Amino acid sequence: MIRWTRIGRVLGLFLAAFGATMGVPAVLSLATGGDDLTAIAGAMAATVGAGGLLWGACRGDTRELTQREGILLTVAAWVAAGLFGGLPFLFAPGIETFTDAVFESVSGVTTTGASIVAEVESLSPPILLWRALSSWLGGMGIVILVIAVLPLVGHGGMHLYRAEFSGAKSEKLKPRIAETASSLWGIYVALTAALFGLLVLAGLGPFDAVSHAFATLATGGFSTRTASIGAFHNPLVEYITVVFMFLGGASFVLHYRALAERRPLSALRDYEFRHYVGAIGLATMVAGPLLFFQLGYDLERALRTALFQVTSIMTTTGFTTDDFELWPPLGQLVLLVLMFVGGCTGSTASGMKISRIAVLAKVVGREFKRMVERHGVFVVRFGGRVVPEPAIQSLLNLVYLAFMVNFVSCLALAALGIDVLTAISAVAAAMFNIGPALGDVGPTDNYSRLPALAKWVLSFDMIAGRLEFYTLLVTLTPWFWRK
Amino acid sequence: MRILLAGGGEGAALIAARLIREGNQVTIVEKDAERCLELEEHLDAKIVEGSAGSIRTLKKAGLRDAEMLIAETDSDEINLLTCMIAQTDSSAKVKVARIRTHEFQHWERILDTMGLKVDRIIHPETNIMQRIMRVLHIPGVSDILDFANGEIKLFGMNVDRNSWFAGKTVEELDAADPPKDSLIAMIFRGPQVIIPHGAQRLEPGDHIYVCTTRENLDDVLRFMGIQPQKAVRRAVIVGGKQLGIWVAQELERTGVAVKLIERDPARCELVSNVLDKTIVVHGDGTDQQTLEEENIEGADAFLALTKDDADNIVASLLARRLGAFKIVALINRLHYLPIVQRLGINTSISQRLTAVDMILQYVRKGRVLSVTTFREEEAEAIELIAMRGSRILDRKLRDVRLPRGAIVGAIQRPDGHVVVPRGEGEVHEGDRVILFALASVVPELESAFLSRSRGARFTK
Repeated sequence: MIRWTRIGRVLGLFLAAFGATMGVPAVLSLATGGDDLTAIAGAMAATVGAGGLLWGACRGDTRELTQREGILLTVAAWVAAGLFGGLPFLFAPGIETFTDAVFESVSGVTTTGASIVAEVESLSPPILLWRALSSWLGGMGIVILVIAVLPLVGHGGMHLYRAEFSGAKSEKLKPRIAETASSLWGIYVALTAALFGLLVLAGLGPFDAVSHAFATLATGGFSTRTASIGAFHNPLVEYITVVFMFLGGASFVLHYRALAERRPLSALRDYEFRHYVGAIGLATMVAGPLLFFQLGYDLERALRTALFQVTSIMTTTGFTTDDFELWPPLGQLVLLVLMFVGGCTGSTASGMKISRIAVLAKVVGREFKRMVERHGVFVVRFGGRVVPEPAIQSLLNLVYLAFMVNFVSCLALAALGIDVLTAISAVAAAMFNIGPALGDVGPTDNYSRLPALAKWVLSFDMIAGRLEFYTLLVTLTPWFWRK
Repeated sequence: MRILLAGGGEGAALIAARLIREGNQVTIVEKDAERCLELEEHLDAKIVEGSAGSIRTLKKAGLRDAEMLIAETDSDEINLLTCMIAQTDSSAKVKVARIRTHEFQHWERILDTMGLKVDRIIHPETNIMQRIMRVLHIPGVSDILDFANGEIKLFGMNVDRNSWFAGKTVEELDAADPPKDSLIAMIFRGPQVIIPHGAQRLEPGDHIYVCTTRENLDDVLRFMGIQPQKAVRRAVIVGGKQLGIWVAQELERTGVAVKLIERDPARCELVSNVLDKTIVVHGDGTDQQTLEEENIEGADAFLALTKDDADNIVASLLARRLGAFKIVALINRLHYLPIVQRLGINTSISQRLTAVDMILQYVRKGRVLSVTTFREEEAEAIELIAMRGSRILDRKLRDVRLPRGAIVGAIQRPDGHVVVPRGEGEVHEGDRVILFALASVVPELESAFLSRSRGARFTK
């Protein structure tokens, strides 16, 4: 039984709050005297109004959410954020169709960073700020933000938290969900502020600095320039960005330990974190020399570019400083593999997540051991802890789901006449929330030439991937709706 | 408040839910992995899997920074171990331990001598036993509670069609010349709880609570149509657990003939070893024939005290049909309480709720002496000391504007004198005040009683 009014009440409040954040670009527009003030204010009014109406209609129902309603609410919140977040784009000049506006918006809130805009500079600063801000809001999780700020969901908040935050099953920072959520957001805000300061010191203007700070910590990847970070030709900015993309892709539980509990070294003992560092290091050591020997970059530039691109792709950010489609095939393939791996659990990054890949490898290893020792009993350990069998089961299902979504989406894109490399890499870049892919949608291209239907498929993939497949897909099953 | 709760059983979960609802941060240590998942599902708390007797597990659960420790596992030994570990490795100001053994009173002495500071040993059986004993001797009354060391009494009764005041309003009752110092404090009607005002009408089927002083109790009972009746002579208890034995012992002491029915033959033997005069019967208390054979008809009191709520309800209903006089049932699931009352079972008491009450006192701000929760935690009686700086001091209560759904029941002055104030009375600094309130207005109410300088918030 799904009681719609319960969902409606929280969803209404959520939408109103989400709409209120459009006030930030509206203020910028007002301050700079931009001509898109009416567009942004209109979008804001529509979003807040829709949310307010929904809340008003369902206000009386304050009962706690069940798990099923929690899942549905999470999905509804993301879809609503995608749709309403597209209104400023639609109303302002630059993006014409509803499909494009929604694609851009979904790409923003899911921190994908795939754009349909050919000339980013053609958009007005307030609209660019909204792009970056929406991805920043989506980075730590819009629903978690609501839990942190508005104490309105009672203990049903746990279901929301679990449906949205990838690290939720592994560790709770504080006993209460609301406090855990505010701690996470506190760290997030602090890191963003730090990055903003550093970028300004490194020579960026305040507008570029704030937009990039938003897009970096969220591992989103929306830039204010068509050529992304590469446009600044500033190695210092690139290094700073690498560090913060790296932090965004690392577990926020570790950040919490380092900052709030003052145990910075605990990260070094963390198994996933060590693999994360190792993977970035290894990939850089493969790509760097390739660029040095085969493309003739000088040594510093080769390593810097390799490190930047590897970190950007692995953390699913999607900033670029170089056209990696010109890289040797091995380098390109390393990036494609990293797309699937992704960052750490409990981070703002997407992808399969390192811990999952590592556990998966161990599960395969166990099967080998079982083939040799027919009667042996083996458990799978991760970082010293035994992984329970149900968790392994659910992990295998997740991989299967990811592949199914991948195949079906690729087939759909192929049916629309898109070439194989573009289809495969675009779907991977969408469902793992990366942004730039290979082929027709590489770092120097954009998604505008894809057919409308393909954009909807990719938008679906982005939300499915952001919610780690289960949450969105379960709402499409008949069992979910059975009474 | 940061609270560490050792043990995740049903009772502990009830305590946790209540503490969380009041805004505390709760971490639960539970050894069973499956139970951990269940708790995780239902409570907004941090769940740590492991033994509560393990130093490492407790550390992981944040023992060091906990402000309060509640040891509520199934095992007395583990509970005491947990308290010992907390004594040295934690800054917890309050330690509470559930002790199940009937020798718990000796433990108080031993802990005291050892220097292990346990602020409260929870042994709800004693409280419940006392509550049952009080009720048994007054037939029309479902419940009697003591406040201010017995100087203030609160009793519960059902309004039936024959009650002379059924259909009358509280004002009409006041006009009928009631004994002084009496007040209708709460009305339970179906799913509703009402803190009554003058125009409130009493209806048949209501369950009401009346607050009065010790001296006036008999007068008030008579006024409410309850005759102090013959003493209980013959009682039947179903269930030979610790509580059953305790009650039987107490009844024996007051010269009542007790029969105790227990299903498990081994347990029967044990019980009959302990109880001297009581007749122990091996049989099923939920079986009509057994009850008929044991002459339930005409028994002055029938007490269903097994561990199983359903058994207690069934046994009570059968006893009622067979003509037992006063029926008391132990009910642990709070959701059953309103239903049970409507089934005509005179008194229903929850052991778990009693345990919750014993803990709440420590998490409330201000000088709270006791908290008693009614029904499904919808209403409570709070006993506290009025502190300097509270906005309600030295003013007529009718001018104070307490939140709707709250009422001052009785006041004990520092010299021991007790009054039931009504609108004209005043509360002074140092008075012991008994408040009745809906659970929803408790935060607002307690902040009114806190001194302003110490902050108006009541939950941390």
